Order: sequence, then structure tokens, then C-alpha cells
Amino acid sequence: MNHQSSSRPVAPAGCRVAGHGLVECRSSALGDLRGRAAPAGAPPIPHRFLRHADEHTVVGLHAVLAAIAAGPPQPDLSRHAVVAAPCQSGRLAAARTLAQLPEGGAVTVSPHVVPQCSLHSVAGAVSVALGMQGPHLGVGGGPDALAEGLLAATTLLLHGDPECTAAWLVATDWDEEPSLDPVGNPQGDPVCRALAVQLVPAGDASDDGSPAHGIGLVVEPSARPASRPRLHDPAGGIVAFARALTICRAGTAPAAWAIDCPWGAIRLVAGSFSERVSQRAREAA
Amino acid sequence: MSGRARRRCDEREPVVITGLAAVSPLGSTVDTILDRLFAGVSGVREIEIDPRARTDARFAAPVAEIPRPAEIEPEAFARLDRLEQLCLSPVAGALADSGIDRSPGGPRIGLVLGLGAEQLKVWELDFLAAGTAVFESRRDPTIVQRIAARTGLTGPAVTAAAACASSGYALALARAWIDAGWVDACVAGGCDILSPTSIAAFYNLRALSRRADDPTKASRPFDRDRDGFVMGEGGACFVLERRGAAVARGARLRGELAGVGMSSDGVHMVTPSTDPAQAARAIAAALADAGVSPGDVDYVNAHAAGTPVGDVAEAGAIRLACGAAADAIPVSSTKSMTGHLVSGAAAFEALACLGAIERQAVPPTVNLDEPDPACPLLHVPHVARPHRVAVAASNSFGFGGSNLCLVLRAA
Repeated sequence: MNHQSSSRPVAPAGCRVAGHGLVECRSSALGDLRGRAAPAGAPPIPHRFLRHADEHTVVGLHAVLAAIAAGPPQPDLSRHAVVAAPCQSGRLAAARTLAQLPEGGAVTVSPHVVPQCSLHSVAGAVSVALGMQGPHLGVGGGPDALAEGLLAATTLLLHGDPECTAAWLVATDWDEEPSLDPVGNPQGDPVCRALAVQLVPAGDASDDGSPAHGIGLVVEPSARPASRPRLHDPAGGIVAFARALTICRAGTAPAAWAIDCPWGAIRLVAGSFSERVSQRAREAA
Repeated sequence: MSGRARRRCDEREPVVITGLAAVSPLGSTVDTILDRLFAGVSGVREIEIDPRARTDARFAAPVAEIPRPAEIEPEAFARLDRLEQLCLSPVAGALADSGIDRSPGGPRIGLVLGLGAEQLKVWELDFLAAGTAVFESRRDPTIVQRIAARTGLTGPAVTAAAACASSGYALALARAWIDAGWVDACVAGGCDILSPTSIAAFYNLRALSRRADDPTKASRPFDRDRDGFVMGEGGACFVLERRGAAVARGARLRGELAGVGMSSDGVHMVTPSTDPAQAARAIAAALADAGVSPGDVDYVNAHAAGTPVGDVAEAGAIRLACGAAADAIPVSSTKSMTGHLVSGAAAFEALACLGAIERQAVPPTVNLDEPDPACPLLHVPHVARPHRVAVAASNSFGFGGSNLCLVLRAA
């Protein structure tokens, strides 16, 4: 066996968190959000752009807009990449399509289902709406979506398109996966939520003293990967991740958030971000 | 490694392909598939579609047989849905082909599969079999997570979706992980299945060919009489690893994934941009990543699905990226024979490029009776052409304006 053993140390990699936005919307209010214009401070989006979009896309795009609006002006988004990590996106559209099929036949299958309600659709919509011309990618689709998304976004930013100046991670989910009635409408009034996180290369972020500039994500592959599988709680993941980001940005406490995966961990770190990456790299070496 | 870490091609250890497997409308062994691709055989035929979702589109390119991995019991394999069977088969096949050590304590092996609409397909399969999963409040692990567990892979496992470029992005992520040192090796690729509602959705989108005469003539990329694509199913998977490790363990080197380029149009959710700049940027980036110039490219496997708009847009992108060199680069679309494998297309077409390098020939575009003058490329109509192929590029484009180019070369 000439490969090095999997107990070989692996250097971590990290990027900075430049901003984030969280949007939560009850199912009953999604129609209003679908038609809502971008908030002040964010670039406009095309009129009626979201009319055929999946629920995850609606909240996902508005989370990106919220993040942009909350931060300093970003005049050029064209070199940004997008990684979206929805959990079971397209389910309502799929249920409605399938519910109509026995009576209505193929003519009732919407041509928008594939382009607007598939795993790539959230990322595609953010890219199109905001003119982001870095790569865009949907990942996950299941209970591990947040971890897969963080890994893929870090990968694209650090090892993907070298012209990219930023990568957005857009994680979306229902608070609880809703049961659907026979025509595909959600039972009750569940909350659909999205967290958008803007990542930039660690060395590229300017330091104006804002606590936000001291927040980073570190990917730490384990020297001894665990056996599979172990699932995460993605809804709690998004909420907990957003809460940790907010605490970090306020500067009131150090970050205490991580996703532990069978292959390693992704950690939110604050303050001594660069030092932590360097220290872990030295340890790995 | 705190900042951007993508290394220049001359600083990076080559990432090579040491295992491959495919399941396709042309067969389910690599040699059979390549024999048929280079013989210009079509896998398109008339198929039976569930009457609940039947349209006028009757032609498609189905997979006839999905090989069962030796390590899976027949009953267990039969219990899997068709999509999981189609994914598991080439993953296990590629691992077996590579001969890589999978024992505990062995190399960290990751898994990335391009699956653009896994849940939609799984819910549909279940519904058409009288199930109710789509209406239920449940969250099952993804196919990628299940396959990683079943095959004992201990590296990261991710599902990637970029519509028709999905499995190309899977290869891109896999190579990046190896570059980063996050894995020692990675299985990457992707697959897709035919499903009644996806055929209906593409038909209602007016993306499918409506020809109703000879199924083998329906898929006509770059032809003046093309009228849309024909859906197919299947895909391919590869084992990637660093060249040094592969050579040290005596692995057979099937080729190098030398370059990756990615971009987005940022223009429309369905149609490609009429401005080829971003698609050309992806091609140029892949060539630069591989350290080659357009004049070094011996073959381009085009995305060209046979849609009136898409084929023209791609021809413009190739010409913009390659300039005058495009006049001398043979270009073909193997979708003329396989149909459009959607999520599996990019990986399958990377296999076609490896075949071109191995056989020193360019596979043809069948049914290219009268090339569209709006697609001014050096076409390879009807029959394969013997040709020196050391460097091959494969384009993939997807809904949402996703652009991807892979460059492969002899290892």
C-alpha cells in the first residue's frame, strides 16, 4: 500500500466570513416575499423574477439580499460564486405535479419544474438575479446539506475559479419538514428559512477594525476519519450557525460552533482566525 | 494555507484517473461503450412511457442492464431504486477497476456525484409505484451518503448539482479536494435516469426533439434540421488520485484530469446567453489550468445537445475561446448517439475523451447530414476519424447558465 495512511495529518484551510443574512418566512407569507423588491442597500432584482421559483429559492435569494444590504456597498458582484445547500428543495412542486398527474396527464407537468425546482435552482437563481458569473452549484439536498455546502463553498473559493473574489453559501430548510395534503400544500404554517454567508479568501479581507473581519471558517479534515454514517440536524444547524455568526459579529463572545462530520470538522472561529489556521497547519505539518 | 490555494499547473502534482466504469445506453462496460461510440452506433429507440405522463416524445436512450456490483447481494441490489442502482454500479465498478486499497487505515477516499434532481426522481419513482413519500414529513439520507456508507469510503461525500453540468462539477470538486490534500483519492462522476415527468417537463419546455420517424435519427447536434435533444440515462464514475501515489502502487493510469474551468452566464434560468463571453471564459480557464494553448487541443467533445439555441451558443464560445485554432480542432457531440444523459452527461463525455486519447481517434457526430452554418466548427460527421489525440476538452453547460470545461490528457 503506497498511499500514505489515513492517519496522516492534513493541513486545514480557511476563509473569512465577510457577512451573513438570515431570512425566515412562514409558508402563508411566501407569496408576499416572492413579489417583494430587494431591500435598500441591495441591488435590484428583475421584476417578477421569483414567480416560478421554489420556496427555497425565494428565501435563499432574499437572504443574500439581506446580507448585502447589511454590509458595506459591493459595487461588483460579477466575480462571486454561489453554492446553495437546500434540504429537499422542490418537494412542494413535485407533490403538486404528481398529484395532478393521474387526472391531468403530462400536459399538467410544468416546464418550470426542472429549471426552477431542482437542486441547482437556488444557486442558479442567485447567480442570475444578481449577475454573479463565478461558478454556481447546488449541493446536498438531504439532511447533511449544510455540511456539504460549507465544504463545497470553501472548495470553490480556495481551489476553484481563481478569478473569484467571494463565494456565497446559501443554506435553506424548513423548520420541520412539513407533511403535505393530497394536492401538495403544506399542513400547518411551517417556516422556510435561509442563511446566506459571504466567504472571502482569508488573505483578501480588509481589516477596518470591524469584528466581522475576525470571523472565519476552517475546514479541518480528520487524521482518523470515523465510520459512517451519522446525520446532522440541519434546521438546528442553520439556526445555531446564524446565532453564532451574530454573536461573533457583535463581538460579545467567541464563536462556539462547529459541524463534526465523519471525515473531519468545519469550525467557526473568531478573533485569532489567521493564527488558528496557521497553528493548525503547523500541527498538521 | 490560510488564503487562496489553487496552484499553477506547473506547481501542482497531476491528478490522474486510475479507475473508471460507466453504465449507458451503449452498454455497461467501458470497452463495449467505446467500441459503439467509435462505430457511430445510436442508443436511441422508442420507449414505453407510463401512460399517466405520456407525451408525443416517444424516443429516448435507455440503459438496458445495470451491472450489479459483486459485493452487493442480488436481493439487496434489487431493493434499491433505479437511480441508486445506476449510481452504485459505476461507483463500485470504478473502485474495483482502480484496485485502490479500501481497508481501514488505507487512503482517505472521498465521493462526489453529480445528481441534479435526486429527490424529484426518487419521489416520482415512489409515487408511480403507489407510494406516498413525497407527501410525508421525512428526510432520508441522500444516495451519495448511502453509497459512501455502503462502500466504506471515509472521505467527504457530497452531492453536486449544476443541471446538465453536474457530473463535471463533481470531477472539479474531487480534483480540488485532492489538490488540497483533504483526500488521498476520490470517486467522482454522476448518473441520471429517465423518468416520465422529467420527459414531460422537458417536452413542455419545448426542449425535446419532436421527430417521430426513425429514433436513431432524432438526436442531431449541429445539424441544420435539429429540433431539440433526446433524453438518455446513465453516466460514468472515475477514481482520481495523485499521480505519484498512483504510480507508486502500480495503478493503471487512464488519463489525467489536467484542467478545469467554471463560470456562469448570470443571465437566464433556462436559455444560454447570446453573449459567449462567460462560456468562453470557462473554456479558456480550463486550458490555462492545464497549461495548454488552444493550438494544443486535439479534440473537443461538445456539450451540443441538439437544441437550436444551445448548439449555436456553444459554437460561438469555442470560437471565442480558441480563436483561429478552432479551425483545426475536431469537434463532435456524442449525444448524437447516447442522447442527453443530463446529470451524467459531463462524466460520460469525459470518458469519451479518454477513449479518444486511448484509441487515437475522434468519435463522430452521427446524423450530422447538413451542418448548420451558424455552428462553424471542424465537425466529424457520421464516422470516427483517426487522429492524434493527446489533449481533449469536454464542454458542459446547464440550466441557470452554468458553464464548465474539463481538459483531459494522456497520463
